[in-house]
Amino acid sequence: MATLLQQLINGLVLGGLIALIALGYTMVYGIIQLINFAHGEVFMVGGFASLATYSYFIPESWRSDWWVALPLMALGGALVAVILAVIMERFAYRPLRNAPRLAPLITALGVSVVLKEAVRLFYPGATAPVPFPRVFVDEQYTFEIFDGTITIGSTAILMIAVSVIGAVVLQTYITKSRMGRAMRATAQDPDTARLMGVNPNRTIVLTFVIGAALAGIAGVLYGIQITNVDTEVGFLYGIFAFTAAVLGGVGSIKGAVIGGFAIGLIKSLAGQYFPGGTQYDLVWIFVLLIVVLVFRPQGLFGEPERVRA
Amino acid sequence: MTATSNAPVLAASNVTMVFGGLTALKDVNIELHEGQILGLIGPNGAGKTTFFNCLTGLYTPTRGSVRLKGRTLPSDPAQVTVAGVARTFQNIRLFPSMTALENVLVGRHSRMKQGPIASLFHGPSFKKGEADARTRCLELLDFVGLSGLDDELARNLPYGDQRRLEIARALATDPAVLLLDEPTAGMNPQETEAARQLILSIRELGIAVVVIEHDTKFIFSLCDHVSVLVQGELLVEGSPEVVRGDPRVIEAYLGKPPEEVQAEVDAYAAESSAERTSIIEPIRDRRPNEGGQQ
Amino acid sequence: MNIPIGWKYLAIFIPSVLGLIGLLVLIRFAWKKGTEYVTPRPTLSRPLSIGGAALGIVAALMPWATFVLNEGAYPDKSTLQFFDSPWAVSGFRLHTLLLSLVALAVVFAPIRKHRIHKALGWSLIGIALINAAFIAGNGGGFGAITSDGSSFAFGAVIGLVAGIALVFSGKAGPVEPIPHLSTDVSRVVAYAVLVVSFTALLLGVAMMLNAGGQGGVGNPYAGPIFLSLLAFFAGVLGALHAVGVTGWISRLSDKHKWFSIVVLLAVALGLPFTEAGTDYWMTTATNIGVYAATAIGLNIVVGLAGLLDLGYVAFLGIGAFVAANFSGAAAAKMGFELPFLVAVIIAAIVAGVFGAVVGSPTLRVRGDYLAIVTLAFGEIFKKSAQNDIGGLTGGANAIPGVPPINWFGLSFDKPLEIAGVKLPSGVMYYVLIIVLVALVMVVFANLKNSRIGRSWIAIREDEDAARAMGIKTGKAKILAFLIGATLAGVAGAVFAHKTSTVAYDSFQFIESVTLLAAVILGGMGSIPGAVLGAALLLVLPEKLREFADYRLILFGFALILIMRFRPQGLVPDKHRRAELANEGAEGVPIEELNLPDDTPGGAKAQVAR
Repeated sequence: MATLLQQLINGLVLGGLIALIALGYTMVYGIIQLINFAHGEVFMVGGFASLATYSYFIPESWRSDWWVALPLMALGGALVAVILAVIMERFAYRPLRNAPRLAPLITALGVSVVLKEAVRLFYPGATAPVPFPRVFVDEQYTFEIFDGTITIGSTAILMIAVSVIGAVVLQTYITKSRMGRAMRATAQDPDTARLMGVNPNRTIVLTFVIGAALAGIAGVLYGIQITNVDTEVGFLYGIFAFTAAVLGGVGSIKGAVIGGFAIGLIKSLAGQYFPGGTQYDLVWIFVLLIVVLVFRPQGLFGEPERVRA
Repeated sequence: MTATSNAPVLAASNVTMVFGGLTALKDVNIELHEGQILGLIGPNGAGKTTFFNCLTGLYTPTRGSVRLKGRTLPSDPAQVTVAGVARTFQNIRLFPSMTALENVLVGRHSRMKQGPIASLFHGPSFKKGEADARTRCLELLDFVGLSGLDDELARNLPYGDQRRLEIARALATDPAVLLLDEPTAGMNPQETEAARQLILSIRELGIAVVVIEHDTKFIFSLCDHVSVLVQGELLVEGSPEVVRGDPRVIEAYLGKPPEEVQAEVDAYAAESSAERTSIIEPIRDRRPNEGGQQ
Repeated sequence: MNIPIGWKYLAIFIPSVLGLIGLLVLIRFAWKKGTEYVTPRPTLSRPLSIGGAALGIVAALMPWATFVLNEGAYPDKSTLQFFDSPWAVSGFRLHTLLLSLVALAVVFAPIRKHRIHKALGWSLIGIALINAAFIAGNGGGFGAITSDGSSFAFGAVIGLVAGIALVFSGKAGPVEPIPHLSTDVSRVVAYAVLVVSFTALLLGVAMMLNAGGQGGVGNPYAGPIFLSLLAFFAGVLGALHAVGVTGWISRLSDKHKWFSIVVLLAVALGLPFTEAGTDYWMTTATNIGVYAATAIGLNIVVGLAGLLDLGYVAFLGIGAFVAANFSGAAAAKMGFELPFLVAVIIAAIVAGVFGAVVGSPTLRVRGDYLAIVTLAFGEIFKKSAQNDIGGLTGGANAIPGVPPINWFGLSFDKPLEIAGVKLPSGVMYYVLIIVLVALVMVVFANLKNSRIGRSWIAIREDEDAARAMGIKTGKAKILAFLIGATLAGVAGAVFAHKTSTVAYDSFQFIESVTLLAAVILGGMGSIPGAVLGAALLLVLPEKLREFADYRLILFGFALILIMRFRPQGLVPDKHRRAELANEGAEGVPIEELNLPDDTPGGAKAQVAR
């Protein structure tokens, strides 16, 4: 029982992380129907950028105070991720907006390879996992329950909190603000939106920016939770997050968050209880992805495909 | 002038289509005989397209049935085509990067028998089948007036020729019934007249034709039989003369008394021959494989 | 007799340049009287092209001249023998001189010049940039032109200016249509032309493979030498394309299909007899063959049916593991050995079945989502293989010791001697893979030109319209996956025996992307494209060993740049060309191509279709 609870908690923590990344996928797909394959790598770059902020820009004396160091690191990670996303959108995706559909997807693959390799080659020591500083308060809260104990770390709580708050703020922004309306309008019909005075390019860039900022923050959280960053995680978590976005229904903020938590839970429960254990936890996620796509392509909370012209 | 035989080729009986709580079609009955041209008109939102989709297997009617030569049509577009109902699309949907001949050959698909193994080895019987299909398709291109353009990519053809090619492609399926969805949309008077001649010569082949059009003048001058759909119901049907004079049609469809309409039609005809030009719109680059299901 | 290498190359180049000029003149006179062949040239064009060509000659002779004049640090280099000193080895002088001479000859020849000059100009630019970058990278200063104190004498900068001048002279005028040469020639002439051009192709390939030898620490110049030659060939091909020769040859080979196939096979089998007939190149060529065969299979799925598959390498892996398990290797699950051909058939069937399974979601899932489903299947395969599922894959230990193929006592990994000619070891694998690639090509071509192939293309173009034409789209799409996977399975079986160790990590996501890149680089839906793409993606890393670390990042950039600037690929398929490049049916404009950015300088060259 305690094991189950512990795995549920682990799953939620992982799920929070996946949800933060999935938001970027779901927003970009919702607006320009592009699977931004490189989004997972943006998350990875965010992790490395925050590490670089810590190592090269934050003076030694500030490092021990987490309320100084952590926000600065998050800012650094998010900033680099955002710059990257803007460049990527401007020079790789925008020229292909009217190209056949395969073209931007293949470009996204290329961008993803470039980002991963660039970090691997040019970040000192990044050919292996790089240790991440424990900047946040490192408390472990242990509870006695039924037949054993369960442990929750302070970073775990932070992770869940950030992802839920992030999603709520985002949802409010999109439903309430002017730019949010512009986004929804562009997603529905870019041409009509343009006629109504919405600048689709600006709206699309903004979408990329929000997604990248969230991914950058997710990078920091990953670092303090796992205590290292690795160039390999971009691809892996990118796939997790994409699966989450699809599961929840691409284009839906709520769906991405719930999908994220669902994937997190499945991964940690499958690792514990399914045949093959952690060796096969990925396989179960992929099986789920395939099943969802085949039987409910619009996802749990997505709207059915628009009627095609 | 209608070449009627006793049994209808295509018969829609009591076709009713309900979406959610909305009744798009209500008890629509249509009979189409060999060599007949049936015009289907009605104001926007009258259910013409919905009815068309019922005929092509895209929708399965909620109630009622569509029968081709006495057999109920399957509810899959591919099988409907195999059964003998071919169609064209309102906004041209050719295969833009295939040549004209290849487009027609694709139409021939369901009438050819070569399977994967034969296609792999290109044996004598494969070659014969392929050559026969080619001959037939070249004949069809010739028939619609596109001879010599067989090696041209569909996307490079002028608008009017694209419409013709679509008809040739549909004819390649050896249909008993040909459904034309607004075949003259965007055409100038010359092209429209050419289309009228083409449809008349298709009838000569013994193929029954259903035409959806907004251009009532075109319908009245072409069809043997006209059905008027209004709000999902068949309002009037009969010969063009009958339908044109029916006050209910004029009221429901045109909203004006007959004299006024006649005047308008005349004015329109005079004006149109003078200055209407075709709206050339080439095939848009459609993205293949839109995400998600239909 | 020991002929210096330089003369050997000259012996090939000079006749070919003379031949090219002769050809141009011939075309001029063969052109129908009364049709205007030469378009009027704008005033700027002529001085630019003469100046460019002259500068190119200066650039080529600069090193020689400066060494002679200076009697500087390397007096022994003051020679016209082109290939005996490190930097001269790149072929810079020879390539530049020949290109410039042709450019000059073209100025005075009565033919359409703009396209030719553009092609030659881009080639010169490419060669100059490659050499300049390598010199600069090795501390020689950027394309240094010798002055007293400098140790390198080089004309890279002048060559660059010459190239730019030529390109501008080409761009100063209108884009001329490419002459359409008639294929109504006698059978003898057609056969002769085909034999000559395919043999030239073989010699070119052998020369390229051999240029600079194999790369690595031992030979840091392999990269520039190879790339310079590549740029040179690209320029020559571009010029030939401009006068309509390449198009003519391709139409001739279309017309005499079977003859071309036989000659091409014979030529391919001739490679071991050339200077590229070493163990090393036989192995590389076999790997290229495996990838090419797999890429052609993928081309059915992606190029014809338009279904993106991001986990395709799994089928290669399935084929390899099946063959390995039936090979009698110690680690194999099956304790017995099956004859190779039987194992191949089983591998093909198993891979095909998996292909159909992976393809079955296409019934419900479209477009991008399908790409993700295939990616998921690929990852499931990898994870399962990594964990030694059912004891079939050996997990992290792999399946080592797969024996070489052995037919009638002939072990495929041993060297061979035919009529006194020693052939390198691995030549039998090479022969086998050539035959396999040829078979796969025939399968692809036959399917493409059939009812089935047309239905795939129709689905790619407009799935709803295809269904309205009576095509059972679901069945057709699964068939595409099935056939593609079957071909990959066969290639995998050969791969297993050739590499002798089958490990899961040969079949990862990045390999799927590589295969996809081969298809895209070459041109979707085109057969020569897939082979060319696979060849480039495997040969370049061999030549550029010193950049091995940068392989993947350059590869990523290449993907982005191709999609941006030449989505139709190097050798586009007739249909795809129109679709992706928005050209007219006759494909009039020829674009300058950004070769995959595999060189620090960015080899820009023009490649013929």
